[in-house]
Amino acid sequence: MGFIDLNNVSFKYKDNQFIIKDVSLKLLKEDFTGVIGPNGGGKTTLGKLMAGILKASKGDVFIDGLNSQDLKLGAIGKRVGYLFQNPERQIFAPTVEEDLTFSLRIKGIEKQQILIKAQEMMELFQLKHLANQFPFTLSQGEKQRLALAGTLINDPSFLILDEPTTGLDIERKKQLTNILKKLQKKGVGMVFISHDDDFINNLSTRIIQLIGGEIVADKRK
Amino acid sequence: MLIRENKIDPRTKLTAVILISSLAVLIKDIALLLGIFSITFIIALGFGNNPLALFKKLKKLALLFMAIIIIQSSFSSGIPLLRIGSITLLTIDGFTKGILLAIRMCIIIISATIISTSSPREIVQGLIQWKIPYEIAFMVSIGIRFLPLFVDEIKDTVNAIQLRGIELDKIPIGKRMKIYSYVLMPVVATTLMKSKRLSIAMESKGFGIYPRRSSFKRLKLSKVDYLLMAAFLVGAFTIVTVYLG
Ligand SMILES: Nc1ncnc2c1ncn2[C@@H]1O[C@H](COP(=O)(O)OP(=O)(O)OP(=O)(O)O)[C@@H](O)[C@H]1O
Ligand SMILES: [Mg+2]
Repeated sequence: MGFIDLNNVSFKYKDNQFIIKDVSLKLLKEDFTGVIGPNGGGKTTLGKLMAGILKASKGDVFIDGLNSQDLKLGAIGKRVGYLFQNPERQIFAPTVEEDLTFSLRIKGIEKQQILIKAQEMMELFQLKHLANQFPFTLSQGEKQRLALAGTLINDPSFLILDEPTTGLDIERKKQLTNILKKLQKKGVGMVFISHDDDFINNLSTRIIQLIGGEIVADKRK
Repeated sequence: MLIRENKIDPRTKLTAVILISSLAVLIKDIALLLGIFSITFIIALGFGNNPLALFKKLKKLALLFMAIIIIQSSFSSGIPLLRIGSITLLTIDGFTKGILLAIRMCIIIISATIISTSSPREIVQGLIQWKIPYEIAFMVSIGIRFLPLFVDEIKDTVNAIQLRGIELDKIPIGKRMKIYSYVLMPVVATTLMKSKRLSIAMESKGFGIYPRRSSFKRLKLSKVDYLLMAAFLVGAFTIVTVYLG
């Protein structure tokens, strides 16, 4: 059994046609799984199904052995970190620092510990100089880094990243690659959806190609 | 009486919506309001709305209505209907007022769905031909188009917050208020930025340069439209007469 299992999953939005068609997958923590495919192929939809944000219309999704149908998003968030394709979707607070730390504060984690973690994340993603800025006017790449930092500060044991490199310059992309490699050494499993061939080839141990809601290729390196 | 939606002129639908919502605001009689509610429902069905979707919309509002009824009760000093200790929870007066308000809101919400069966483009054209300034007509259509996106955005944000490992139902009320502010923040910020982008895009395409615009597409009222409008007017008139008499 994988960390996330999809068994004959089909999905449609409301009454439209099926966007994901009878997909079965086992995602292992040991893998760096890249998902590629053309625009509109269903990658984002598949990623949201894996994360339990969308529930399968047919078939079952198991996250850490639990059926995603029975899992509340809050419970999923404790196991899986999800980066939305649009980083603006996951920026909430009036300052960069508060955005990083609010979830920890709500969970009642000790102040001292929160401070240390926030510093660590801002260091890692070069956000220190922006700590007191209004996050919605940050540049695209800065928003992306903030969203990533906000996801990683919760120490998820599995990550699903939808287009994590959009808006990052070459240098920042290299740094992200290194950060993700470090996380993998710590045992964090990963799925990333990307159009960025270099990034995918550099990181992935398994590549899944999705066209028209169907898996047309699934290769291990 | 299922009429193919695209055949009906948006102006006919607008007439229906305006009449229905005026009636809903004007009339204070529960029986009549209930009657208007069922008529509105049937008209909405006739214009091609999905009845299940309508019911779903109303179901979500049920809680809000309960709250309205209780709040109305607590502000009115009528005969108590339900009390816990010395606190009056429901009064007959408050209950009636609350119910009235709830039915009114239902009527207005359902009547609004009638117009949503026309495309925003058609609605703008209809308004223009009613001699309403293009700018205003355009804003109305943007409002209609953005409303569902706005709702989606709020849903997405609530989802994204939970994905930070926050279990909403396990959080004490005090902290929950804080979370609502985190939902509002991105929605307001992105809406403001979106409208700014939209206005720049509109200006760069020459919106508002010419005082008069010509339109390629002209709407024409058909016989069915005239008949329907007449029926709506007569219907509304009858209801008002019954109410006043
Ligand atoms: N909320 C929605 N409601 C209805 N249809 C949707 C919705 N979201 C996506 N779709 C449709 O589902 C299909 C797959 O979309 P999806 O976003 O999963 O593609 P994608 O592979 O991620 O594309 P991209 O490379 O552009 O990000 C598209 O045809 C899209 O129009
Ligand atoms: Mg996508």
